[in-house]
Amino acid sequence: MSQFRAKKLDLGCFINIRVIRDHTKRKVFAEHEPERQALRYIIRNTTLPQRTRAQAQLQLSQMHCYTRGTQIKNRCIMGGKGRGVFRDFRLARFQFRMNALAGNLPGVKKASW
Amino acid sequence: MSVPRSRILDLMKAQCRIFSTTFNPERLRLGNKVLRQRLRGPTLAAYYPRKVATLKDLQNLYPTFEVVNDAEEDRLNKIKVAKMRGKGAPKKKRTAAESKKFGKKRGGGGAAKPPPT
Amino acid sequence: MAAPSYLRSPFGALKRIKISPPTSTCQQRAGFNTVIEALKDQEHDIEKLQELAKERNIKIDTDAPPALDPETQAQVSSLRLPRSVQAVYLRPLRRAAQHGIPVCDLQLRTYSVRNMEFFADFALRAAYYLNLPAKGPIPLPRITERWTVPRSNFVHKKSQENFERITLRRLIQIQDGHPETVRVWLGYLQKHAYYGVGMKANVFEFEGLDVGKDMEAETERQREGLEEKLSLFGRRTDGMTGEKIREILSSETYQRTAHGDSPMMRK
Repeated sequence: MSQFRAKKLDLGCFINIRVIRDHTKRKVFAEHEPERQALRYIIRNTTLPQRTRAQAQLQLSQMHCYTRGTQIKNRCIMGGKGRGVFRDFRLARFQFRMNALAGNLPGVKKASW
Repeated sequence: MSVPRSRILDLMKAQCRIFSTTFNPERLRLGNKVLRQRLRGPTLAAYYPRKVATLKDLQNLYPTFEVVNDAEEDRLNKIKVAKMRGKGAPKKKRTAAESKKFGKKRGGGGAAKPPPT
Repeated sequence: MAAPSYLRSPFGALKRIKISPPTSTCQQRAGFNTVIEALKDQEHDIEKLQELAKERNIKIDTDAPPALDPETQAQVSSLRLPRSVQAVYLRPLRRAAQHGIPVCDLQLRTYSVRNMEFFADFALRAAYYLNLPAKGPIPLPRITERWTVPRSNFVHKKSQENFERITLRRLIQIQDGHPETVRVWLGYLQKHAYYGVGMKANVFEFEGLDVGKDMEAETERQREGLEEKLSLFGRRTDGMTGEKIREILSSETYQRTAHGDSPMMRK
């Protein structure tokens, strides 16, 4: 991770080592995504020679785990929590509740029906 | 009556030219699916909000100017009030020994209590 | 129990008011003919104000304007407001569509009704003045998103709280409009966009049967200007995969796999 981590922190939300790691993974993924997609294309193209496809498979597996999209996890931007995060608000359950009751989330109100 | 294959292929070629689709009569797996996929790197990378300028930065930039930071002043007042009441933060334990002393004593005293009948 | 007046729509009230001749409003507003009278009514120190005005060279009219003779007064009182101003107090006018072919679908979305109502009204009036037959605002079904969240920050799953977010929608459809006019209308709405209202417009344009030829001619014309504009763009995100593929396949190791004496060469 040290090779990818930015020298200067550019996060404005809650700072946590886990949040920093996740942010680094996202940036690395965005940087290497075209390369990964290119390798995936080479692997799936049956008209290319088998050896090329095998080479691409090897190269893809050898890429750093930070380039993988599956390692990215949505965290709460106010508390850094990894579980119970809503996508619409990027907040975990308790933070969502506190902000909703305070009126910080537009349009969200207590439901009763 | 059967139509020669070349005619059908010509028709397919014309269709693909008109509708801008890929011409693949033998149904080979060419991996074009991957090329069509939308790249989601930039959207994922923009998940966490970037750093913005705060009052603290303003204070650091212009130390001679008076910057009124309400939230910071409220926080400092709260700490002051707590200290006056004697409820301020406890002193930092410098060595491991100091931090263990009180914790262990309470734990030993609790265990010695007889269980309720 | 009827809804309180601040929640009831003012636009409902519009249907019920009569446009009275401007006399009543003029008389109401002309309660104070001069600044001095208005201030006297509010018990301000007039001498001080007059001195201050003299210092700063501001003119306050100290005397009431000369009273009009009854004939002129009658004529003045019977004056009406301009028609476009009167129209603001009434429901928006509509143009009749000749063929009924939809040209533009504008969907408005908000979390609160009042500002969307106001903006829809504004959009309809703008369409009338641009000679665009508009249908609407048609209310579309509400979108309700619900979330159930534990009240506590730790365990205690059994006590939860429900939250919801209701999105209200309105549709304004323009029929039989000139595409340029529709673009002007949309641009005008974007320029004077109201807070809290989201807009999305689907525009339908119609071409003749020679559309292919027209499009080719159009691309030829635009090709010259296009090159210089494209050079200003940075790397386009969607074109990057193709470049990468070319780069990888032309690298040395991959060239050896394609032509050479290595294992797995024959398919």
